[in-house]
Amino acid sequence: MMKKQDELFRIVEYSADAAERIGYSNYSYWRSVWQNFLKKKSAVVMALVFIALVVFSFIALGIGKYQYSELMSDNALAFTNPNGEYWFGTDNLGRDYWCQVWYAAQTSIKLALIVAIGECIIGVIIGCLWGYVRSLDGFLTELYNLVNNVPMVIYMTLIALVVGQSFRIMATSMIAIGWLVMARNVRNLVIMYRDREYNLASRCLGTPVWRVLVKNIFPYLVSVIILRLALSIPATIALESTLSYLGLGLDINTPSLGLLLRNAREYFLKYPYLLIFPAVIVSLITVTFYLVGNAFSDAADPRNHV
Amino acid sequence: MLKYTVRRLIESLIMVLIIVSVTFVLMRMLPTDMYFTEEQMMKLNDQQKEEQLEAAGLLDPIPTQLFRFYRQLLHLDFGESRRIQTGVPVLKVIESKFTVSMRLGLISMAISLVIGVLLGLVQAQYKNKIPDHIGTVYTVFVNSVPSLVSYSLVLVFCAHVLSLPSLYSTRNVGKSSIPPLICLSLASIAHYALWTRRYMVDESTKDYIRLARVKGMKSSDIMRKHVLKNAFVPLAQYIPASLLLTVGGSMLVERFFSVPGMGTLMIDAINRYDTNVVQACVFIYAGLGILGVFLGDILMMLLDPRIKLVGGGSGR
Repeated sequence: MMKKQDELFRIVEYSADAAERIGYSNYSYWRSVWQNFLKKKSAVVMALVFIALVVFSFIALGIGKYQYSELMSDNALAFTNPNGEYWFGTDNLGRDYWCQVWYAAQTSIKLALIVAIGECIIGVIIGCLWGYVRSLDGFLTELYNLVNNVPMVIYMTLIALVVGQSFRIMATSMIAIGWLVMARNVRNLVIMYRDREYNLASRCLGTPVWRVLVKNIFPYLVSVIILRLALSIPATIALESTLSYLGLGLDINTPSLGLLLRNAREYFLKYPYLLIFPAVIVSLITVTFYLVGNAFSDAADPRNHV
Repeated sequence: MLKYTVRRLIESLIMVLIIVSVTFVLMRMLPTDMYFTEEQMMKLNDQQKEEQLEAAGLLDPIPTQLFRFYRQLLHLDFGESRRIQTGVPVLKVIESKFTVSMRLGLISMAISLVIGVLLGLVQAQYKNKIPDHIGTVYTVFVNSVPSLVSYSLVLVFCAHVLSLPSLYSTRNVGKSSIPPLICLSLASIAHYALWTRRYMVDESTKDYIRLARVKGMKSSDIMRKHVLKNAFVPLAQYIPASLLLTVGGSMLVERFFSVPGMGTLMIDAINRYDTNVVQACVFIYAGLGILGVFLGDILMMLLDPRIKLVGGGSGR
């Protein structure tokens, strides 16, 4: 009997290394996010396409044969089809289309990124407060209803009328209205997780509030924040083009998708390249970003981590 | 139920009032030169301009003007248009535009509800198979491609392939309203399909569905009789809101196809600083939006007796 047990069990020497392996898992949130994201090959390819397009929009302006500020209208050159001199052809006034299209793409990207970052910062901070401080809830909920029940275009047109039209005004007003949606999403999550047992335990043990927020709640927010960004960037580009098309967006001297298509509206049935180039480039940017954002948001959800 | 409805109705009215008041005050803060056409600016001297403004009551202190505005609002009187159709009451200007928008809005609403729910139904039934993937591609496309670009593509398709007119015209209403109708429906089809699919997939893993399956019910019957009915309840909440907003007219679609509707009117009024018309438009848009959300909640409560919003409306 004794002999049999001796065969089965062996006494192990104490080793600090092995003890450590059981007591501590080397889980790191951001590393898992990254690993999960890399597993999706299609999303990685999309991300590369997106980055390449953004970088190329800067290079494209450099290698183009014409500078935007030096464009001259020349009716003799109007509607030149794409060729070696004018890579994207020319518009109705004979101006080089290549530099207009890339300039517009850059404007869209810049605006979308600024708005997204602004919305994100204000939305997350106020959203956390909104979820944590109960007495703010009534006021902010009413504000949210007030803003959200009326289409954003109405507010934006009123701002364009009263304040004016420029890149800065547009970015500011989009942030000023857009943060509410982000804050609302964050608030819902904070309310969901703030009173979970582990947070209650942390609070009882005297963990400071910021540490509870950053370490226990924030990982749950990341995926929603990224999902919101993935929606917000295409939405900003769409709203900008809508407003500019209506003549209520950026000023005439800032080329943007909306202005290009507004100029081309009468002609692109006859000269389809006037539509195809800006449409394909801007759509590629928005579609890839949307898909990458969705994939990244899945990867960032701690519930999907092993 | 009644108490809740009345309270919500009052809340909604207050909200509309706030939006309209803010708009009113903002517009009164614009420089008064905006009220004149360039021609008038050249012809009139400062004194004449002042007299005209005085006569229109535009030089009174803002609170006085605001109260006068409220009094007019009680009689649903929005004053006269200054620039779009000079001297014509605003309601008359809006009336004809509103019917055009309403017709387009209602038709597109019906189209998108039917196609959207059907698409979502098919997607849920063939989950993770080819029809589902096609639907997902469509949703991603609509959500991420800027609407201006997708409208342009619709226009090119309609003009070249179907040889439809590229602009709306009152002489050929039937044919020329097809492209704007497609554009108006694009986004809402995706919306309904997405949510129908999601709610149905959620619903189909529930216990009572498993029971029905065990009993040997046909799976298409389960989908239609149980799943769709339950999944439709949360969807119904959005119907009034989207209905009323499309009636208000999508500004971009109307401008894009030159439809003489509410959207075009509001843009024109803003570009030409016709403040009375802008105010009436904002009032209608805000009112429709808020009324839509209100009706949505009521409709959901009527459809599903389990839902009680009473007391819970404001969250925790």
